Amino acid sequence: MTPSSSYRPAAEVSGPPAGAYAHAPGIPALSAEPLDVVGLLSRAHHPGAGAVVLFSGEVRDSNRGQAVLGLEYEAYAPLAEKLIAEILAEACGKWKLHIAVAQHRVGTVAVGDSAVVVITASAHRSEAYAANRYIIDRIKHEAPIWKCEHYADGTKEWGNNCNCHAVTGDIHKHIYETDPKPQP
Amino acid sequence: MKIHVYAGLKDYFQPEFELREEIANTDELRAVLVQINGNAGPLLSTCRFAVEEGFIDKNFKLNAHDTVVIIPPSSGG
Repeated sequence: MTPSSSYRPAAEVSGPPAGAYAHAPGIPALSAEPLDVVGLLSRAHHPGAGAVVLFSGEVRDSNRGQAVLGLEYEAYAPLAEKLIAEILAEACGKWKLHIAVAQHRVGTVAVGDSAVVVITASAHRSEAYAANRYIIDRIKHEAPIWKCEHYADGTKEWGNNCNCHAVTGDIHKHIYETDPKPQP
Repeated sequence: MKIHVYAGLKDYFQPEFELREEIANTDELRAVLVQINGNAGPLLSTCRFAVEEGFIDKNFKLNAHDTVVIIPPSSGG
């Protein structure tokens, strides 16, 4: 596809220099209480942002054909908070975001409830979308947060672990959805 | 050395326990843990390790007074 005349890669978008952005304005990365999705969104507006993207990862009622009653999330909080802050800061610099917020639940989360919210605000939508996907992808692969699925038959399972090491051969190296796909 | 484990590792070990063996690095730590509970071997082979809120690699020199956090593959989101 030929880029239109209005196409501008993120790196060319004008704005304040990287690092000058307010990511996660006073919002903790982990919450033991239900996530206030609307409240978080209300705090993610910025006069310089023409685009705000919100992702909410929510608990499904089934997994691999089994009925799910709910999930229990556990985190190694000090490292999870530190890592999420680093991811947000990196995304702010890379996509020149005005706002970046990520908040993840710990504890028991019911079907239909939000387990994680990521909000990104930027001048234009392409950066907000790209940054949002990057942030949730990295949180899912890297942050020391785990879910235990509680099934309707009374069983439970810690699962859906990041399995990138099977391909990369390194437990510290991951394959992200946002990575360029290898050419056939 | 104090050990903290999370998530699926709690099916094999107490969440927090102490080891008295001399353990120099994460490879040795993993081997000691497999001796304690061999069923944990496959999961331990996929785990990351952290000391003082930072990830460490196999070259990191462990000390007896360290608190080592063993981190199974992430499954957040």
